[in-house]
Amino acid sequence: MLRRAKSLMLLFVSITTLGICFIVLPIIALFLLLDPNILAKIYLKDPIFYVQARKAFLITLEASSISTILLIMLGVPIAYLLARSNFIGKSIVEGIIDIPLMLPHTVAGIMILCAYSGRGLLGDLLKTLNITIEDNFWGIVITMMFVSFPLMVDTIKIGFESINPTLELVARSLGASAFKAFTTISLPLASQSILAGVILAWARALSEVGAILVVAYFPKTINVLTLEWLNTYGLKYAIALSIPLVLLALLLFIVFRLMVSKE
Amino acid sequence: MILIKDLIVKLGDFSLVIDHLKINDGEYFVVLGPSGVGKTVFLHTLMGFLKPLKGRIEVNGIDITHWPPEKRNFALIPQDYALFSHMNVFNNIAYGLKIRGLSKDYIRRVVHEIASILEIEHILNRNVDSLSGGEKQRVALARALVVKPHVLLLDEPFANLDPRLRAKSRCFIKRIHERLRFTAIHVTHNIIDAILMADRIGYMKEGRFVTVLYPKEFIKTEYARPYLDEILPLSEYLKNSSYNN
Repeated sequence: MLRRAKSLMLLFVSITTLGICFIVLPIIALFLLLDPNILAKIYLKDPIFYVQARKAFLITLEASSISTILLIMLGVPIAYLLARSNFIGKSIVEGIIDIPLMLPHTVAGIMILCAYSGRGLLGDLLKTLNITIEDNFWGIVITMMFVSFPLMVDTIKIGFESINPTLELVARSLGASAFKAFTTISLPLASQSILAGVILAWARALSEVGAILVVAYFPKTINVLTLEWLNTYGLKYAIALSIPLVLLALLLFIVFRLMVSKE
Repeated sequence: MILIKDLIVKLGDFSLVIDHLKINDGEYFVVLGPSGVGKTVFLHTLMGFLKPLKGRIEVNGIDITHWPPEKRNFALIPQDYALFSHMNVFNNIAYGLKIRGLSKDYIRRVVHEIASILEIEHILNRNVDSLSGGEKQRVALARALVVKPHVLLLDEPFANLDPRLRAKSRCFIKRIHERLRFTAIHVTHNIIDAILMADRIGYMKEGRFVTVLYPKEFIKTEYARPYLDEILPLSEYLKNSSYNN
C-alpha cells in the first residue's frame, strides 16, 4: 500500500515538475534571448526608440495605477456589501462581477466601446461631460478597470468574509457608529486582503493588451507598443521593450506570494 | 432600571414576545433556556441590532427602543470574546474610550484602573492572540466595563472555557460584580451558571419569558427539572463515592 502511494507521489511529482517547467521556460527563454545592447538602445541611447518606449512605459504605469486606485474605491464597498449581507439576487450580482474574467479580451474591448464610446449607449451623456474613451488615456484606464474589477472585488470579499462579524457588533456596543466600526475594525483587519487585491488588480491591468487594442490604440501602452515592434522590428526589440514590465510583474508576484505565505 | 413592555420582534417565522420585564440597577439577571428559544434575539434586540415590530425598551424612564446600538451604552461580551486582533490588550480596552474622544491621559489612567481591578495589568502590552482563554475573558470584561455601560450583556461567556476555568471565571465575575455593581444580563443554557451567578433567573421558552424567579425559587419549578435531572445523579454519585474523603 505504502509502496503504491510512493509511486503515485513520484508520478505526481514528475507531472508537477513538467508543469513548472512549462511556465518557467518561457521566462528563462525571454531573459536568455535578451540583447543588452538593444535594451540599452531602446531605453537609454537612441531617442527614436527611447522616447516611444519610456512614454509607453509611463502611460502603462500611470493608467494601471489610476485604474487600481479607482477600483479600490469601488471594490472595497462592493466587497464589504457582498461579504456582510444577504439579499435577493446576490449570486446574480456576484456572477455579473465575475463576467470580465470569462470574456475574450477583444470582446471585452468591443463591449466597452458599445457602452462608453461616442457612439455607445452612454455616448451622448459622456460627450456632454466632455469624456471620450476612444484612443484616449481614460479609455485605457476604463478598460483596465473593467478587466481587473473581479480580481479586486473577489479578493477583498474573501478578506471581509474571514473577519468575525461579532467584532463589529462589539465595536458598536462600545460606542462606534457603523462607519467607525467599519473603518477601525473591519478595514484594518482586511488590509492584507485589500493589498492582495490591489496587487492582483494592478498586475492584471499592467498585462492587458487585447481590450486596450480595441478601445484605445493610442496613446500606446507598453503592451501595444511591444506588439507593434514585434511586427516592425522583430523579436529582439519586442523582448527588450517588454523586459522592464516582466521584471515589474515578477516583483509584484513575489510580493503577493510573500504576503500569502505570511497570512 | 431597564423596562421592557409589550415587545414583539419578528425574525422570519420566529417571534420574541415580552409583555413585561423589569431589570433593576445593579442586578445580575440571567436569561436561561435551551438553544433556539430566542436568547440571542433578545440580546440583539436590547442592543439595537434588531428592530422590534412593537413595544418599548426603557432605560431609567427614557425610551431607547429606536436608538442605534452605539447610543445605548449596552456593552457586549460575546461567546468568543471578539477581541480586536489588530490591537494589543491596552488598545482593546481603550477602544470605547478612544471612540468617545477622551484625552490620552484619562484613557491611560482608567485603563490601568480597570486592568488592576481585573488583575490584567501585567498583560496590557501583549498581543491578544497570545492570551489564554481566561485572560481573553478578562480583557473582554475590562473593555466592556471601562466605558461604564448602563448594562453589561454577556452572551454565553463561559462556553469556551474548560470546566476548571469555568468555575474560576464564575467566581471572578461574581466577585467583580459585587465590587462594581454594574447591571448585567447574562445569557446561558447552563443551569449551574444561572443558579450560582444570578440575582434572578428569567427562563425562556419559544420566544417568551415563561418565568422570572430568584434562583432558590427557580430550582423548585418544572423548568429546572430537566436540568436538575441531569445533574442530580452525579451529585448522588459524588455523595456515595469517596469524593469528599
